[in-house]
Amino acid sequence: MTSIGTGYDLLNSIFSPDGRNFQVEYAVKAVENGGTSIGIRAKDGVVLAVEKIIGSKLLKPGANKRIATVDEHAGVVYSGMVPDGRHFVDRARDEAQSWRQTLKTPIPTSELASRMGSYLQAYTMYGSVRPFGITAIVGGVDGSGDEVIDGVVGSGPSTGAGGKVDGKHGGPFLYVIEPSGQYWGYYGAATGKGRQAAKAELEKLDLAAGNITLEQAVKEAAKIIYNAHKDNKDKDFELEMSWISGVDGPTGGRHMEVPQELKEEAERLARAEDESDDEEDEKKDEKMEE
Amino acid sequence: MAYGRSAGVLNADGIHVDMQALKAGEVDLGTTIMAVTFKDGVILGADSRTTTGPVIANRVTDKLTMIDDNIWCCRSGSAADTQAVADIVKRHLDQHAVHHGERATTGQAASILAEICYANKDMLSAGLLVAGWHPRYGGEVYQVPLGGSLHKEPWAISGSGSTYIRALCYRNWRENMEEKEAIQYVKESVREAIRNDGSSGGVIRLAVLTARGVERWLFTPDDDYSKPTDDKPQKM
Amino acid sequence: MDHRPQAWGRPRDDVYGAYDHSFMNTNSHPNQHTQQPLVTGTSVLAVKYKDGVVIAADNLGSYGSFARFTDVKRLHTFQDTSVVGFSGDISDMQYITRHLHQKSIEESYASSSANKKSRLSAANLHTYLSKMLYRRRSKMDPLWNHMLVVGFDDDEKPFVGSADLLGTTFTAPTLATGIGSMLAQPLLRTYAGTDEEAAERTKEEAIKVIQECMKVLFYRDARSQETYSLAVVSREGVEMKTSEKLENMSWAFADRIKGYGTQTV
Repeated sequence: MTSIGTGYDLLNSIFSPDGRNFQVEYAVKAVENGGTSIGIRAKDGVVLAVEKIIGSKLLKPGANKRIATVDEHAGVVYSGMVPDGRHFVDRARDEAQSWRQTLKTPIPTSELASRMGSYLQAYTMYGSVRPFGITAIVGGVDGSGDEVIDGVVGSGPSTGAGGKVDGKHGGPFLYVIEPSGQYWGYYGAATGKGRQAAKAELEKLDLAAGNITLEQAVKEAAKIIYNAHKDNKDKDFELEMSWISGVDGPTGGRHMEVPQELKEEAERLARAEDESDDEEDEKKDEKMEE
Repeated sequence: MAYGRSAGVLNADGIHVDMQALKAGEVDLGTTIMAVTFKDGVILGADSRTTTGPVIANRVTDKLTMIDDNIWCCRSGSAADTQAVADIVKRHLDQHAVHHGERATTGQAASILAEICYANKDMLSAGLLVAGWHPRYGGEVYQVPLGGSLHKEPWAISGSGSTYIRALCYRNWRENMEEKEAIQYVKESVREAIRNDGSSGGVIRLAVLTARGVERWLFTPDDDYSKPTDDKPQKM
Repeated sequence: MDHRPQAWGRPRDDVYGAYDHSFMNTNSHPNQHTQQPLVTGTSVLAVKYKDGVVIAADNLGSYGSFARFTDVKRLHTFQDTSVVGFSGDISDMQYITRHLHQKSIEESYASSSANKKSRLSAANLHTYLSKMLYRRRSKMDPLWNHMLVVGFDDDEKPFVGSADLLGTTFTAPTLATGIGSMLAQPLLRTYAGTDEEAAERTKEEAIKVIQECMKVLFYRDARSQETYSLAVVSREGVEMKTSEKLENMSWAFADRIKGYGTQTV
């Protein structure tokens, strides 16, 4: 920590001579200590998952949800300081609502990410505030041209609108927003303590090829979180997962918790993989002895 | 009638001055306007008469108003009100395009317009049609009648002249018309309205919105609206 | 000549006397926003049966006597547990349905689990809407609607409630708005006059009486239409049909009607 004692890290509004904002970098540290969260952009939807660290046995299982719904079609998960995340979610909901109020349509995921990026960036410029101690993963599925305007009555011709141009419109999107306010779109995203291991796993999926289905992605997400938890084994955790499909998919275009059955199945597979990995490790150890 | 406002003054000489009646001299778009969907997009059509009571204030009015590159509207009711509303919506849509790097959809444009008409319904006399073409949504027609409600329709007509041609339009309507047929449908319908409605008249203006952009057609009484003034439409 | 803008377009003072400036002073009169309904929907009907509620309304948006919009769906599902049926102004209906949509998004913040039941029962929704209507009428700017809210109450019993533009509310085993309250309500009471009777009726009986009443309304309501929406709300959810058509109407007897009195040919 070269910054300590230099004085350049005491205020948000002061750069260090080599052009860094140490407050933002410390915020990133806060994120790096948080439970792992990931997002997967599958070909027909988005999955969000988080390793929720259970700090006390007195907490009610399944309570204190960490993944939040922002609008019907969009959700957020984050790693880092949970109260900061809650405020992030509040703001995201307000943005989604204000878009709906003027345009009577769901906010595009890219627009939501852009607005939240701007919001976080504003917290890196003033001495009176500190940056957000979270990195957020925003997932959403945008309409592909068949959605209707909120509240409208009547409909167009029964044969559908004429003159539509073929091509990819809407679909699943995934963005990551960092404490600096920087945001990028991703196929797979991971943040928090186990992000390195998670990113390595995500890269293996070759998500850009668009072969992974939503249901596969749910199972992969569970595996990745279980795997990422290995380095954090002394703490208990709960897996929390949500998904969003297109209108014709299992969630009907809505962001919701992954159904209990599918989640249990995904967790069973994740645990099975975990155990088989351990066995392999043991076998290797035996070989070494020979 | 609005309480206490409409009465004006009853003077000593007993002459009653009705303030509402004085306001009635306002320029009115006693009109025929229509918008229809067809195979490749939408067509808007309108007559060109603007009246002040019995006097024609403008005989070559352009009632087809561009509010975005591929979204147009037809205005009926008070000329001042509808122009103001169209200008405000246009400003919103321009800003939307700059801000988001993407044009608003026809539905979003119609929503903004309807919201203005709804929130100010006690002050506006505006009946509008919004029609547009968008690559993702194709051709769409929305109608915003007096109270500010929003209706999506395959085709819509409005204005004083529309009452005379409603049955005709129902009878001749077919979904998914070819462009030529649709142009003919709109032109012939407005032509009948001009024949019957004193508040509609002049030339017939059309705007065709498709993937090609907007094309304008003009038909005049010079040849009984039989041919467009140009072989080719006026490209914008 | 008076050049003040206030005088533009107004009668000359020397002929008609001075202009009454109280007209320009908005404080001297009560605030008034209130318009009148423009595009309107007619009656909504609803009846309870043993496992739920059946509700119906036609798909017409009238403009005065003019049948202007023929595809206006006036039944709105709320969170797959309740249905609100609207009569009255369509633009206000759109305002309310958008508001309800936003409410249901806010409800999903608390829990986004697919199988979890809505926290807001139809009875809660009815109370909420009635407060909304009463507040607006107290601001002299009413939402020009009369609506029926149907679904279940907090004890999981079938619920049918009415709320109008003044904020008046009541509940009953069967309800109807508009002209339906005169033409259909008496017929509906023969189907079920009390909750006890309604609890003995089946879904099929409920649908049948609604269909019969929609037919009577089509015969006698000059602002009605043949195509209508019908929803069944049960504990399994909402079963919404939006393009029902009246069946088995009786018109052939017109054949026996000749002249208006003594004429026989």
